[in-house]
Amino acid sequence: MTSVPAQDKGKDRAIGAVRRIWRSISVPLVAVLLGLLIGGILLFVSGANPFEAYGALIKGAFGTPVAVQRTLEKATPLVFSGLAVAFAFKAGLFNIGAQGQLLIGAIVAAYVGFAIEGLPAIIHAPLALLIGGLAGALYGYIPGVLKVYTGAHEVIVTIMLNYVAINITDYLADGPWKDLSPGNVVARTPKIQPSAEIPILGNIPLGFIFAVLAAIIVWWLLYRTTLGYEIRTVGLNASAAQYAGIRVARMVILTMMISGFLAGFGGAVETLGIVGRYQPGFNAGLGFDGITVALLGKTSPFGVIPAALLMGAMRAGASQMQFSAGVAKEITDVITAFILFFVAADVIVKWLIRQRDSDDERIMLSSGWGGN
Amino acid sequence: MKRIMLLLTGLLLLAMLVAACGGTAAEPPAQEAAPTEEVAEEVVEPTEEVMEEASGDCSDEAVLCIGLVTDVGEVDDKSFNQSAWEGAQQAAEALGAAEVNFIETKDAKDYGANIALFADQGYDIIVTVGFAMGEATIEAAGTYPDINFIGVDQFQGEALPNVTGLVFHEDQSGYLAGVLAASLSQSGTVASVLGTNLVPPVVAFNEGYKNGALSVNPDITIIDTYHPGGLDVAFTDPEWGATTAAQAISNGADVVFGAGGKTGNGALIESAGHDGVWCIGVDSDQWETVPEAHACLVSSAMKLITPGVIDLATMSANGEFPGGNFFGASGLAPFHDHEDAVSQDIKDLLDATKAGLLDGSITTGYNPG
Repeated sequence: MTSVPAQDKGKDRAIGAVRRIWRSISVPLVAVLLGLLIGGILLFVSGANPFEAYGALIKGAFGTPVAVQRTLEKATPLVFSGLAVAFAFKAGLFNIGAQGQLLIGAIVAAYVGFAIEGLPAIIHAPLALLIGGLAGALYGYIPGVLKVYTGAHEVIVTIMLNYVAINITDYLADGPWKDLSPGNVVARTPKIQPSAEIPILGNIPLGFIFAVLAAIIVWWLLYRTTLGYEIRTVGLNASAAQYAGIRVARMVILTMMISGFLAGFGGAVETLGIVGRYQPGFNAGLGFDGITVALLGKTSPFGVIPAALLMGAMRAGASQMQFSAGVAKEITDVITAFILFFVAADVIVKWLIRQRDSDDERIMLSSGWGGN
Repeated sequence: MKRIMLLLTGLLLLAMLVAACGGTAAEPPAQEAAPTEEVAEEVVEPTEEVMEEASGDCSDEAVLCIGLVTDVGEVDDKSFNQSAWEGAQQAAEALGAAEVNFIETKDAKDYGANIALFADQGYDIIVTVGFAMGEATIEAAGTYPDINFIGVDQFQGEALPNVTGLVFHEDQSGYLAGVLAASLSQSGTVASVLGTNLVPPVVAFNEGYKNGALSVNPDITIIDTYHPGGLDVAFTDPEWGATTAAQAISNGADVVFGAGGKTGNGALIESAGHDGVWCIGVDSDQWETVPEAHACLVSSAMKLITPGVIDLATMSANGEFPGGNFFGASGLAPFHDHEDAVSQDIKDLLDATKAGLLDGSITTGYNPG
């Protein structure tokens, strides 16, 4: 016991790291497997061949370069909305409003994209993205301020603001910003200028690269800056943070704005990179699924990426699964719901894999609900 | 103790699932407890071989394959999408097609991708159902010039050789429904519960309905309500349809015209629960598809999608695909059990109106564009 060789020390450290990583990913991983298992049983009971169905799902999501591209495209907005929810979570805030912030970001980016002409692409696309993000931030500012100055709970406010956002965007897309090109009767904005489009590099959408960068920036912000430290402190214990001299009110507003920025930016990427205009119904559920993605990723910025990829893959592969195996399109929603169920009810999973709780990695759902 | 409780909870959950799936001789749900690793293998392995047999040989020119893509509606909606799917199936049978398959679109952004799934497999005829898919269909027609596309409810502004819009005079069958509704109404108030006004055929039905009702009784009150949501929900919201119908009935309406997929079906079924209220279905003869509404369902304002799809598919198979627009048949469905409730006077009026609409002496007052 006197002197441990340096080699062994390094080995111990490596084993420790692996163990820590396993601890943090084991629950989501097993939850995913359980979700797929129950989905498989459901498929079997409904008369389909689960192997064939999952095979088709994988083929539709990863089978060809185009399929991979579609998976990445579907995952991109989910990374952003997942980051938005996860970021707010770190300050103990439960942002249910990512959907609304994303819609606002999407339509404002569309406006900047179609209304401004003659800008070079190198300026136009980033400008539209930035303004879309800022619009989302502004929309996140509202629940932040209401929470700080009136005590209105952000969960309630953001849920209601989602409906406000839906109606604002419906109005704009069918009113002042409606596409008036001949033959068009549906509610939607005009197509954005080519200079505002976000390109696809080979089969990798540039938007997805932005999403990965965003995850890195969010991680850096949270864990490598004073601001991030203060935000996390507020999340752990707002009273203690106040006592320690952190301006909690400011942190809450700022957190909601950054969260809104991420969601709005995601909406802008979707508009400029995929849809090419704003059209009601085309962004349905992208923000809400951010909640699923954030929980599945254990609210870690880097956990969000694989979680979003999984959801994206299931969405990209769903049509192929219908086509080849004759499976109802809703089955992917059912699988997602079960995965989420097992993540939330992690006690079942932990019992299955005999893992003991350690307090530091628990997701404190209650801090969002019972916070002050 | 705790573990046993958990296990029981898990089993209960599974039992509920199995029960919910229609109870078709379910397999024993016993293998639940430990199988984490197995699943991983199950999921990853079986891609290749399976896919090959599913693809058939549609790419062979002699082999006929028919595909169908819905917009966000569903092929069991008992009206619009279902009639198109039945048309595709019957055409496939009559023409001896090797494959007939459908995809229900889940995400409106995937219209093009879903069409491409069929096109890339070498399908010969692709039916795209719904006004909302018009643009994606035209785009796909450019990409795949050898495939014939049947666009249900998609009016073609410019004729392409390989796209035919299957369109209907909805305003005319709506007009007949309106004449019938106003003739049956005792209260002087009739209602319509509709999918979204973003979709022109829905508006055509309603405008025809209103003008038909007014032609019988110029003082009639018409409560017409469009679903306020977007294309993604407007046709799949039976609860909204039911509450809207109930509201109209409490405001005195005694005839309800339900037009809009499952949303309209909700209105029909709700109306069936009110005494002295008639209801009129839409698209297909809904006597066959919504038996819950038999109590009130006097007729349906039909647009005969099924025979239209069959006709166009047959023309395509014979190399006579018309391109441009093809008008399918429309009109009122039979009265079925309510034959006696509709007086001979009303029947005569309907016949006269129908003849007038055909020879142009009666116009529906609906003027799109």
